[in-house]
Amino acid sequence: MMELDAATLRSLVRHDRVHRSLYRDPDIFALEMKRIFHRGWVYVGHDSLVPSPGDFVTTRIGVMPVILVRDDEGEVRVIFNSCSHRGAIVCSEAKGNTKLFRCGYHGWTFKTNGDLDAVAMPRGYGPSFDLCDPALGMGRVPRVRAYRGFVFASLAADGPDLDTHLGPARDSIDEVVDRAPAGEIDLSGGVHKYLFRGNWKLQIENIVDMYHVPFSHESTISRSGRQFGRRPGEEASSAISDRGSAAARWEERVAWGSPSTGHSYAGHQPIAENLPDDPTFRTYLAALEARHGAARARDILQPKRHNTAFYPNMALQALNQHVRVVVPVAVDRTEVHVYPVQLKGAPDAMNRGFIRHLNITHSAASLIQTDDLENFRRCQVGVDAESSEWVWFARGVESDVEDNHGDYRNHGTVELQQRAQYAAWLRLMSEGA
Amino acid sequence: MHSAAVALGDRGRVEDFLIREVRLLDERRFEEWRDLFDEDGYYWVPLRPDQTDPDSEASLFYDDRPMMATRFERLRHPRIHAQTPPHRTCHLIGNVTIDAVDGERSECLVSSSMIMADYRVGVKRVFAGRVRHRLRWDGERFRIAWKRVDLIDCDDVFELIAVPF
Repeated sequence: MMELDAATLRSLVRHDRVHRSLYRDPDIFALEMKRIFHRGWVYVGHDSLVPSPGDFVTTRIGVMPVILVRDDEGEVRVIFNSCSHRGAIVCSEAKGNTKLFRCGYHGWTFKTNGDLDAVAMPRGYGPSFDLCDPALGMGRVPRVRAYRGFVFASLAADGPDLDTHLGPARDSIDEVVDRAPAGEIDLSGGVHKYLFRGNWKLQIENIVDMYHVPFSHESTISRSGRQFGRRPGEEASSAISDRGSAAARWEERVAWGSPSTGHSYAGHQPIAENLPDDPTFRTYLAALEARHGAARARDILQPKRHNTAFYPNMALQALNQHVRVVVPVAVDRTEVHVYPVQLKGAPDAMNRGFIRHLNITHSAASLIQTDDLENFRRCQVGVDAESSEWVWFARGVESDVEDNHGDYRNHGTVELQQRAQYAAWLRLMSEGA
Repeated sequence: MHSAAVALGDRGRVEDFLIREVRLLDERRFEEWRDLFDEDGYYWVPLRPDQTDPDSEASLFYDDRPMMATRFERLRHPRIHAQTPPHRTCHLIGNVTIDAVDGERSECLVSSSMIMADYRVGVKRVFAGRVRHRLRWDGERFRIAWKRVDLIDCDDVFELIAVPF
């Protein structure tokens, strides 16, 4: 077993490559859970999933079972889904509404804020066991903060605040939420869930990988280099490739990444796309203009970022509008949960269109995501080969520019985003080593 | 008796149609499978038990005929990684009942149970669920007005899926 001290960790990550053991070593996975997922800010869920007091959804932070719940007072909390008595999961429903959480094993009950409500048959406990001890609650995750409905939590009592953590990536949340005429989004339109036999980092790398598209998704691209039509009545969608290479406009996309947090994004093509001109869209545009005025509404509808990865576990895609959550299971096993984004205040027909469109691009039976899942599987099998120690992220490394915040900037199909992710990985993994 | 009424109430004939339908999928004759659907026909696999609406909630499949055409064109692409190598499938249809007959519209509502095993790169899976068809008799043959498949594990995680159920 490798001793994962600071020097060893440093030897595994170089600026343009990472060691293959990052994808296959169970000890590294265990340390990632401890130092990245069970310490720093991670995305837990969205407040539209728990609109009323008593509403809850069960999920995980890293490998720990938790419940995102709106308590009786209306406060959104994240509590551990584990009975303080024997450790059993208290809530085994995916979602629901409750007045109390009741453990099925010995009947202990807990309030929606996680506090112990009652112990069954309490007279069996003697004076040495304090039924009022707060430690007998389910336990609350110490720090829970939301930004425009996106709930993040940190298992560390202290650390950078959420605003500092999100940094410039926060604007990507604004970009999508501002599209809603009511200024809020709704993620309650179901969820696509899939599993792949590969390491979680394969998915978070891929979300902001603009290099793979013409190759991984070749089966969706016609001879003319255009992708299939994604919306009703659309013959073909955007140009993806130009004779085996990424279409020229892709090279103009902004690439940004923060080596301190690991967040990154790929910009949108810098050319204004024609806005649709159908009755549904006109109704939507009128609602947006009524809230913001015509000029600001136009600005909101000008796509700026294609997709953003909030390290380590969430991504927001602005094109096929969705929130994607990466759920590590084991070193070689990962779940991905994909939520369609509906815009509150937009016409129903428009939101229904988003949902339908996402079935095509991102269900487990979709036309896009399935090729990615296959490539993740192939990576996981392939990195066992000892032909090389490394996995490379060197594309565009010479042209990266560091801005005055220490963030990386570049253009096009570079692997800057992944370089930023692994710089952050090394920083997070080394803290406390 | 009118031929439509005969066909719509003939459980043996309906069952034979369903068996032949899924055999087209096992033989990867996807375009012929699509042609069984009427012009306004659709194929729906919900992601939640008792899901009532394919429009307001995400679905595993929700294809009209044009979408099926795009889907199957991709399945024929030489560089479709998700099907290199392809899934092999075996569908089994049983417990077929005709639940309602609408003579006016020459339609019937059919329930069946479905099991599909698939295999690809060392992974064998079994899918099972209840299937409902709305079939139309056009005077010569059945057309599918809609087909809905409720998998027993519809709200679970899935590894990649390529072939309809």
